[in-house]
Amino acid sequence: MPSPMDIYKLLPKTNCKLCGEQTCMSFAFKLIKKEKKLEDCKPLFEPEFEEQRKKIEEMLKVVEKATETGLVVNEDLCIGCGNCIVVCPVHVYEDPEGAGSGFGVRLENPILRVENGVVRVVDVGLCRRYKEKTICVACRENCPTSAIAFLEEL
Amino acid sequence: MMWVCTGCSCLCDDIEIEGDVVRHACRIGAGLYLNRSVARAEPLIDGKRTDIDSAIERAVEILKDSKSVAIYGLNNSTLEAQKIAMKIAEKISAYVDNGSKFGKLAEMILRKEIPSTTLENVKDYAYVIFYWGCDVHNSMPRHMSRYTYYPRGKKRQRGYEEDRFLVVVDVRRSHTAMLAKKNAVFIKTDDDGKLIREFLTALEGGIASGDVLRVVKELKKSDFNVIFGGGGLIEGLGNEFEEFVRFVSNVGYFIPADYRTNSMGFFKSLFEAGIPKANLEDLLIDEKVDTAIIVGSDPLNSMPFDVAKRLLKLKLIVIDPKVSFTSKMADVVIPSAISGVECGGKMIRSDFVEVELKPIFKSEYDDAKILRSISEGL
Repeated sequence: MPSPMDIYKLLPKTNCKLCGEQTCMSFAFKLIKKEKKLEDCKPLFEPEFEEQRKKIEEMLKVVEKATETGLVVNEDLCIGCGNCIVVCPVHVYEDPEGAGSGFGVRLENPILRVENGVVRVVDVGLCRRYKEKTICVACRENCPTSAIAFLEEL
Repeated sequence: MMWVCTGCSCLCDDIEIEGDVVRHACRIGAGLYLNRSVARAEPLIDGKRTDIDSAIERAVEILKDSKSVAIYGLNNSTLEAQKIAMKIAEKISAYVDNGSKFGKLAEMILRKEIPSTTLENVKDYAYVIFYWGCDVHNSMPRHMSRYTYYPRGKKRQRGYEEDRFLVVVDVRRSHTAMLAKKNAVFIKTDDDGKLIREFLTALEGGIASGDVLRVVKELKKSDFNVIFGGGGLIEGLGNEFEEFVRFVSNVGYFIPADYRTNSMGFFKSLFEAGIPKANLEDLLIDEKVDTAIIVGSDPLNSMPFDVAKRLLKLKLIVIDPKVSFTSKMADVVIPSAISGVECGGKMIRSDFVEVELKPIFKSEYDDAKILRSISEGL
């Protein structure tokens, strides 16, 4: 994951405030948190900054893929074992007869579900990281193929 | 629509299919269903296109002319098809092999010489779970999440972190071994016999290494512990099962972790028919056979090269739903149906529980029908 400093180095560093932020550094922070968009920095879209803008876009690709809780699923690495689904504490609580007992998750909108052999993020609204802001890593811990990752660890 | 997946010997029965979306199945199972129409076999005689009935007739002619026949594969066929294959084997006194090395242990389970249990019981009661010489995370992806380590059962309500203890024994740090974290041990060994002796000593109160003592301490906490043995264990044991049986009866139960879909069904059919299991590799080296019927298997691809090239000297009859290396070199190819997807029947899970398949499509020719026609022709 890129650090705010990496992004700041590539910004115009003029503190022009056109984006609504006081400094370019705080804009870099918000860019990573997805609270600001790259388009908000107007000077960056001028021809002289084109090369730098492309570099930032490349860096932000990994941020784009992440969900609101910072969960990133790499479907190419997933083999669909379903460990993440069965270990998820929310799935166990909400669906003890299904996911909690090892079967396919029976919730209509679970956090994760295996579809066509790979795990898909369906609804992160239920995730403990989203609701209670708990740092829960149960799904990532039990994924030996590293298909699941969290943004802060990338 | 509910479906029973026939991707591996887990035979998961909770798969949902809606059009082209397969839910809850792992990559193996989903691939089996989604790629069903890719690389389908065609009826061929000496590489030339023909119809299925003439291909079956030609197969019968070849079998009538041959002196010694081997039937190989049958792991992806239903119990019904396997039983017909056994009848053919009896009729023409053919050798039968499925390429699996679990024969001896499966026979011991069927004779009740080694205690075994079902995967449902493992989910409900097991405390210490051994994975010995197998990387189930890759060979049977849902084994741990559906049946053994992760799910919560009747007497194991608190989940894997408190109510289970995982022991992985292997020669390398496999994906399954990477899952051995909290409340778990990974034991790396190059000598399975030595490790079993060490366990036996520790169980009797003797001296052993730290990891072994820790596992033995956990083993004594519960009377329901289970060992899943894979190919690595069988290779490691060689032909000496005596100490292993003693170890299992001290620990709890043994369940084979053979990924081949219906390999336990094969051993059961073989056991009931009273036919000894042959080894095709040995037969090829000794040049004992002149014809082989390959059912749903690809030995040319999976066998060592020196042995596999001897296959080409034989007359090959391949019964397979898909094109394989072996079918490309075969004298007769008879296209069949994918068991579980296009034809129904029964299969036996790795813990000897019978599972009824729920096919999504219907096919005119399946393994059982083709083998029956061959049997009648003979």
